[in-house]
Amino acid sequence: MTATPHVQRLAERLIRVSCRRLPADQRAERCKEWSAELPAILHDQTVRPRFMRSARALSYSAGIAATTRRLSRAAGWSRRAPASAWRDGAARAQPGNLGLRATIGLAIWLVIIFTSVSLLRAFPHPHGWTVVLILALAAAFAVCCLADIVQAPAVRYLPKWAWALICVGQIPGGGIIYLSVGRVGRSHSLPPGSAQSP
Amino acid sequence: MKLTRPLERVLRVLTADPAARHYGYDLMKAAKLPSGTLYPMLARLEQEGLVEAEWETQRPDAGGRPPRKYYRLTAEGARVARLELAQAAADDRRAAASVTRPAHGSTQ
Repeated sequence: MTATPHVQRLAERLIRVSCRRLPADQRAERCKEWSAELPAILHDQTVRPRFMRSARALSYSAGIAATTRRLSRAAGWSRRAPASAWRDGAARAQPGNLGLRATIGLAIWLVIIFTSVSLLRAFPHPHGWTVVLILALAAAFAVCCLADIVQAPAVRYLPKWAWALICVGQIPGGGIIYLSVGRVGRSHSLPPGSAQSP
Repeated sequence: MKLTRPLERVLRVLTADPAARHYGYDLMKAAKLPSGTLYPMLARLEQEGLVEAEWETQRPDAGGRPPRKYYRLTAEGARVARLELAQAAADDRRAAASVTRPAHGSTQ
């Protein structure tokens, strides 16, 4: 009987986090309803051995996460971004300073290439170019993730700064985790029938 | 409302005894559905007035167990469910009778 309270706490936590997607007036009741099923699952003597009950409780709370996602999508709201204005392209990048941004981007690339070439000349190494290529790819991926976090009007589960730290701290794992978990997908958040912004 | 296979299973469990009340976990086990499928379905059925939910009254012998929410078909729900299930059964029979006809639910 040592593992069960931990599993129950973990499952309750998962349910609480999932319930945050629901609107405030439903949140508490739903959370209470779903948490109340956990003792029943964890003490269900028809399921043996005990770790199967724990697994079932955890998969139950994973299902709750899917449920709240579906419910919130069906009702057309999300936790952090109730206004759909940004999805219609209102607050996206202004096309006016596109030239400026392209110039800055080009300049940054030139600096990077120049620095790596001169570093390789100064310290020749048999695998020098491979290392530079891998480093460049990793850096590009991290920068892409960071740019996505900065531009996104909302991210899931954690504040933006936390996601940014994760992306920079663990390359490329953090970025992959952000893209798969923290990113608010634009396609399925769009209200049905509205046109996709370009 | 389109009668999907999971929905059909839930309705079968609920109509087996229309007066019986079911907890979420009971329904999951009886209908063999994961919670991620069952609860959105229950929410929809509740919204359409086919299922009603009620909180369990706290019994003193519950041993500190939190009260659970249970679900039951409404009168309207029982009527609609029986109709839908009969319709599905008829469709299945017809599909079995004529091999050329696509199976229930394979189109649309």
